[in-house]
Amino acid sequence: MAAEEEAVMWVEKYRPKKLDEVVDLKDIVESLKAFMRNPKTMPHLLLAGIPGTGKTTVALCIARELFGQSWRTFTLELNASDERGIDTVRDRVKDFSRYSRAAFGNVPFALIILDESDQMTGPAQTALRRIMETSSRTSRFILICNQSGKIIEPIQSRCAIFRFSKLDKKAMIEQLCRIAGKEHVKLSPEAAERIVDYAEGDLRHAINALQTASAYKDGVVDEKTVTNVIGEASPAQVQLMIRKALNGEFIEARKQMYDLIGSFGFSGNEIVRQMQRELFKMSGLTPEQKADLADIVGEYDYRLTQGANSDIQLSALLAQFAKIGRPKGEAT
Amino acid sequence: MKEDLLWVEKYRPKRIADVVGNDEAKTAFVNWFNNANRTKKAVLLYGPPGVGKTTLVNAATHEFGFRVIEMNASDTRNEKAITRVAGPATAFAALDTFSTESKGNVLFMDEVDGIAGNEDRGGVSAILRIIEDSRIPVVMAANDPDIEKLRPLKKVSTLIRFYQVRIPMIISLLQKICQKERIKTEFEAIERIAENSRGDVRSAINDLQSIAETTKMLTLQDTEGLSARNKDISMDETLRQFFSSKSLLDASMLLSYSSVDYDELLMSIADNLPLRYKDPDELAAAYNFVSRADMFRGRIGVDNWHLLRYFFNSLAEAGAVSPKSYEPFTFISPPIRVITLFWTKGKRTMLDGVCTKIGQRCHVSRATAKNDFIPFLKVLLAKNKANNVVTWLELLPEEVEFISKMSRF
Repeated sequence: MAAEEEAVMWVEKYRPKKLDEVVDLKDIVESLKAFMRNPKTMPHLLLAGIPGTGKTTVALCIARELFGQSWRTFTLELNASDERGIDTVRDRVKDFSRYSRAAFGNVPFALIILDESDQMTGPAQTALRRIMETSSRTSRFILICNQSGKIIEPIQSRCAIFRFSKLDKKAMIEQLCRIAGKEHVKLSPEAAERIVDYAEGDLRHAINALQTASAYKDGVVDEKTVTNVIGEASPAQVQLMIRKALNGEFIEARKQMYDLIGSFGFSGNEIVRQMQRELFKMSGLTPEQKADLADIVGEYDYRLTQGANSDIQLSALLAQFAKIGRPKGEAT
Repeated sequence: MKEDLLWVEKYRPKRIADVVGNDEAKTAFVNWFNNANRTKKAVLLYGPPGVGKTTLVNAATHEFGFRVIEMNASDTRNEKAITRVAGPATAFAALDTFSTESKGNVLFMDEVDGIAGNEDRGGVSAILRIIEDSRIPVVMAANDPDIEKLRPLKKVSTLIRFYQVRIPMIISLLQKICQKERIKTEFEAIERIAENSRGDVRSAINDLQSIAETTKMLTLQDTEGLSARNKDISMDETLRQFFSSKSLLDASMLLSYSSVDYDELLMSIADNLPLRYKDPDELAAAYNFVSRADMFRGRIGVDNWHLLRYFFNSLAEAGAVSPKSYEPFTFISPPIRVITLFWTKGKRTMLDGVCTKIGQRCHVSRATAKNDFIPFLKVLLAKNKANNVVTWLELLPEEVEFISKMSRF
């Protein structure tokens, strides 16, 4: 493994290396540090929470604190959404625990970080539980997920569970300012505010937005730049598509959908999920309207899983929006 | 009562000599049948549809006084079903011989190439076992003997090939039928029907019956419609008739006649809905049906073809949302294939490759990389292709090019 070169993407460059550097997670950090003082006592861990709140960061910090410079040798990082099936996971875990059997210092185990573990199906999780049992003498698991409810009970009961809540707005702004300072970027308070609003508690998203914005206009990030970047790089296009559909401009909305697929390579599912997310951020709709529309989105999200052709399902979804959105009283 | 019969049944030959054409195959089959010392217990008759395979088997068994135990493609033929029906019949053949006038039983399995992969699980191996254990002759018929899964059957069977029946023989058969039915005919019309059948006797007789049965007249003009019906209705024609359907029944009739590819049809109909239905309520209703049809298509997958009728039902409803509001319009055809149009396999692989690199560097899954990183990376690269992010992520020049151009197509 290469020595740790300096990262270029800020999300990596400024990812905390030690638990102490982690922002806004005092309680979790304190409990984890107790385990670090006496690693033998460390159980399997389950870190749950919305994206960009520091779960992976905390897991990597633990790896570093346990194994120091050689953390990569003693840590297996897997991502459930990338691995083809539980068999691959089993094989890789088996191989890994075979080669890393030698304990490191006073740490009697190797570490397996399984990210997005809630992407695994029930049967796969049952198999995982078995793997956890058979390799428990040599390995500790850190499971990372968005929703702990999607993890089967037997696994939950074998883990110490830590919940990560939405990051505090103030802490996020502080973090952005700190990074901007180190990168010699002039970040206006309004711009910082705008980024944080947009990121909705997802620090990774916020940092990516900051880095992109700073490349936009050499080292100066003001509100306008941020708005531009967000507009270009984000689901503003999804909102536009929804608006057009709700104005009854079905053909225009469909064109927008083709654009989204064409320019971002989004799959049908991804577009539907984004619609769901963006819908609630949109202004000019009553909560009841949003709920009705969300209901339709849900229906078509399901149909997408059943159907053969996502273009058709997405068009049909937009057609339902166009029907609902037409102002009342307009002639039929 | 007899008049209600399909002519193909009414005039199905009872004797081997009356079976039209395929003389070599007939001789080979009779020889096999009458040879008590036959080396192979089973025979596989194969050839195009409507050339007399089933007819020959029935005629021969009838003539030689055997009884036929038949299984065909409409029965489910998984291992259990085959063993249940065919097992006892083949095992106790000898008893029958004494108790009835029949000389014995023959097991006839028609359309063995129709044994489907999943539903008829173990079907082929069950047939193999039956052949091995059978004390009675086993006759099988198939259209396409080249199917991989039939290979084991071919090994243990005598193979007899059937060809398309020659046109002159079909002509004389049709003339005989016309005589018996007292139909006045123009020779050219008969010729036309025979040629149109491409050697398929069954379809020729069916065509003749459909044209001439009620009028008792057959002119060349009558056969005009025939070629049109047999020819594939083009996509444009299908769309035109579909969108102008006067009723749900019209629409579903049309769909069952048209032979255009289901998936193409589904996409074409979906593409044209906004042009057909200007009213948002109608459009939404039509799209709802098309969406349901697509769901059925998804459930059909590759082997649940019995769901096809629901697919057609939903699709037909999409065409009949509001017959009154129909006005002619120009179709979008061929269908727009958005995803394949923009996202060829090469592009997908390219994007996946970049996402994997991001994933390894930034500890995220490919999906997260695509959703949360690619949009930003795209803006970064559009601004500056030499951004040091490129070297850090170890992106290849073509990957940089690809990402920065992603917004334009």
